[in-house]
Amino acid sequence: MKIRGKEGSKGANASQLEKEIGSEQFPANEHYFGLVNFGNTCYCNSVLQALYFCRGFREKVLQYKQQQKNQKKESLLTCLADLFYSIATQKKKVGTIAPKKFITRLRKENAEKKSSSKAAATADNPTVKPDPTWVHEIFQGTLTNETRCLNCETVSSKDEDFLDLSVDVEQNTSITSCLRGFSNTETLCAEHKYYCEVCCSKQEAQKRMRVKKLPQILALHLKRFKYMEHLNRYIKVSYRVVFPLELRLFNTSDDAFNPERLYDLVAVVVHCGSGPNRGHYISIVKSHGFWLLFDDDIVDKIDASQIEEFYGIPSDMQKNSESGYILFYQSRE
Amino acid sequence: MAVQSEGGGKDDLKTHFATREGEYKLMPLSEYSKPTRVAYNGQANPPVKVSFVRVDDGSSSPDRLCFNVGRELYVYVYKGVRKAADLTKPVDKRIYKGTFPTCHDFNTATVSSDSVLLLVGFTLGQVQLIDPIKKEISKLYNEERLIDKTKVTCIKWVPGSHNQFLVAHSSGQMYLYNEELPSGQTPPHYQPFKHGEGFSIFTCKTKSTRNPMYRWVIGQGAINEFAFSPCLRYLAVVSQDGHMRVFNYNSMELVGTMRSYFGGLLCVCWSPDGKYIVTGGEDDLVTVWSFHEKRVICRGHGHRSWVNVVAFDVHTCLVCDEENCEYVSRDVESVAMHNHLQQPNANHVSNSSVNSGLGGIKVRDARSDSSQQNGSHLNSNRNSTEIPVSAGVHYTSYRFGSVGQDTDLCLWELTEDVVKQPCGKIRTPGGLGANTAASGGAIPRSNSVPNNAQKINSVGNDVGHHHTPEGTTHPIQSAVLNATNKFATLSVADRKESQDKKEHKRNFSLASRNSDRVGLLSKSNHVKPVDDAVKLYGTPACPRLDEVPVLEPLVCKKIAHERLTSIVFREECVVTACQEGLVYTWARPGIMNGIMPYCGQLKIDGFG
Repeated sequence: MKIRGKEGSKGANASQLEKEIGSEQFPANEHYFGLVNFGNTCYCNSVLQALYFCRGFREKVLQYKQQQKNQKKESLLTCLADLFYSIATQKKKVGTIAPKKFITRLRKENAEKKSSSKAAATADNPTVKPDPTWVHEIFQGTLTNETRCLNCETVSSKDEDFLDLSVDVEQNTSITSCLRGFSNTETLCAEHKYYCEVCCSKQEAQKRMRVKKLPQILALHLKRFKYMEHLNRYIKVSYRVVFPLELRLFNTSDDAFNPERLYDLVAVVVHCGSGPNRGHYISIVKSHGFWLLFDDDIVDKIDASQIEEFYGIPSDMQKNSESGYILFYQSRE
Repeated sequence: MAVQSEGGGKDDLKTHFATREGEYKLMPLSEYSKPTRVAYNGQANPPVKVSFVRVDDGSSSPDRLCFNVGRELYVYVYKGVRKAADLTKPVDKRIYKGTFPTCHDFNTATVSSDSVLLLVGFTLGQVQLIDPIKKEISKLYNEERLIDKTKVTCIKWVPGSHNQFLVAHSSGQMYLYNEELPSGQTPPHYQPFKHGEGFSIFTCKTKSTRNPMYRWVIGQGAINEFAFSPCLRYLAVVSQDGHMRVFNYNSMELVGTMRSYFGGLLCVCWSPDGKYIVTGGEDDLVTVWSFHEKRVICRGHGHRSWVNVVAFDVHTCLVCDEENCEYVSRDVESVAMHNHLQQPNANHVSNSSVNSGLGGIKVRDARSDSSQQNGSHLNSNRNSTEIPVSAGVHYTSYRFGSVGQDTDLCLWELTEDVVKQPCGKIRTPGGLGANTAASGGAIPRSNSVPNNAQKINSVGNDVGHHHTPEGTTHPIQSAVLNATNKFATLSVADRKESQDKKEHKRNFSLASRNSDRVGLLSKSNHVKPVDDAVKLYGTPACPRLDEVPVLEPLVCKKIAHERLTSIVFREECVVTACQEGLVYTWARPGIMNGIMPYCGQLKIDGFG
């Protein structure tokens, strides 16, 4: 069995990838380009690649590029559109490209926002750009937050939109189970009591969050960086969490609009390493029926059976792992 | 990591669990593994599988156990629950280079005191035939990987056959070999032999017969497991494409299909009477499919990750004979007599009557069976070859177990009230589920109520409400099934397509569409890509979540640190294995307390 290793990857250059896929099989109008690392930009590269291979997203970004041709004002989105356009219009099928403009812009905006420097937080940023509505069309779903007052039994529900779901992970579970856990009923008591409008007082209550509207692309963020109070820092949890190539949700609300949506896994952002402040991000994506591994400027074709190497590890002792961090599931219909 | 498995987190592992028949206990001395424990580093290893065989060698320990761990394969004398395992003297031990053993199967038809044939499949596609007792034979099939280069996922002797075996690969292909035939020096040329929806069968195009005799191409992804029905006529195959396909093995016709809720199906087994098939898969569910009705009758949610293995516990299924199960207090002896006549392998018990309301129903419990049939019976229900399909024996409740990647063991009970539920209720187009009705839209008080899932106990209030379990006979049931199907077909236009296969049999109005499909298929010998996951949804092959009951496990216990990869139900015990290569033996209730009347006799050898 071929195990991905740093040395092995470096050896594989772009033309080898072309050979491996085969000129006959190479999908028409498809480009597999690695992204140059500008120093600690692997988190960004990996997310960019994952998004590039989210079908609807790429289409919309390229459309945006066409529409915005004359507009000069630079934004993160125009930089992204330029980058996607530049990949999509390459003459060669494989190679590397430097996402310089995008990175510069991203750094500038991050500095402006003075946002936290955590890779974990930044990694999601490209999906949460200034609000062009098609981003919501693709990624936005709705959660319904039901609370039942244990005193008067009144159930109140409140909807909120999401662009991705952050789920807690547990050892030797599946993403399905983690999602069930996300929607477990929690009891609000003691200092967390809930103000009931009917009782006009703070009461014990039960709360549950379920999915009411399922998005076109479901982005699932596994909470692999956990704050340890006794250590006063974040540590990585490398738990083995399996994720299937096909997914349906069990945690939908009774009035869910499209509860039976069937999803296919299209991309995974993987964190390699032992902690949030070190390590490396890579991504695996599905394109035209086969799987590719993007490691900055290196692109490798991998077998679907190798995906299991990115589930995480069952030993609680070991923190170091190459484990799935963000999963992108695309609706089949 | 060795530290971890020895001490450390050991505390959170269960060493016993109770069901209504009593307590199952882990037997620490009956633990099988490699002779020397080394630090475990087997994440990428193939799952650890176990196979059993009984060798009539006149000794007090006639059972043999085979398991693979990493690149090694071990065969030990299996000493059961009463005697400690002796790991220093394996019957056979093999270490392979470059390729790992993935699965194995003993030939129970040819086993003798000094010889047993063991098939082993490997990660690179090769198959080896060895005799761990004689150690003379060692034949290789697909040695040059000319037949298939991908991992062997499941290997089994064709039940009862002395020389034929089936090998499934992760390429999605399955081959029939004859142990005596040559494999040939060239890649085989195939010619089409038979095909149907989602599968094609080929034979080798050569003058002299060679291996493989047949090549089955099934579905779109890897074949993960297959299982022969107890009557040996049918073969159930589960694949990574989420399908379970049931074939008539001899006529090579597809007789039924099931679809997972989502994701690949990883394991499959038949109920001892051949009426039900249970699968487990990447949807974390176990799914029960009725062979006669060709529909999913229930799902089970208990695992927190993928379900690796499912197996029926033939020894803890409730039986009564056909005519008398509804009557109270049937004489135990005559039940026993009856079953002896009808079912050579049946075993009965007088000491543990279980369900209060139903008289004449006894736990089938092989332990109390004194002597005669043990020999034929010990290779787990999967290997049993002589149980006729429900001839006179009527199961009223089935026990099955499952183990998963969550390191949990679950035990399940399939009872008559579930089995006799009519087919999926008629839904309003808006789809207000049973869940809404059952929970009244409110949040259940208890965390234990799964979302979107009916508790098994609530089932009676829902679909089955109008039918008392005893009163619902099969003809009525199928009429309901028919009507429901027709209704679904008529009212929901977009479901027509997926229904047409079923409709074809009763209603020829849709035949034209069906024959179109056949026509398309016959043009190409390849398996036509089927993207019917969405289409099958809401049909009897893959009902909606609220259309069938969701079972909860009787028992759900964490019993290992590593994902569980095997479970075998034996008369005295349950055997489990995990990825680490540890094979555990769990004594059944009463076995170690000395209260069993036949304890002494069980040590006596020479059965059958």
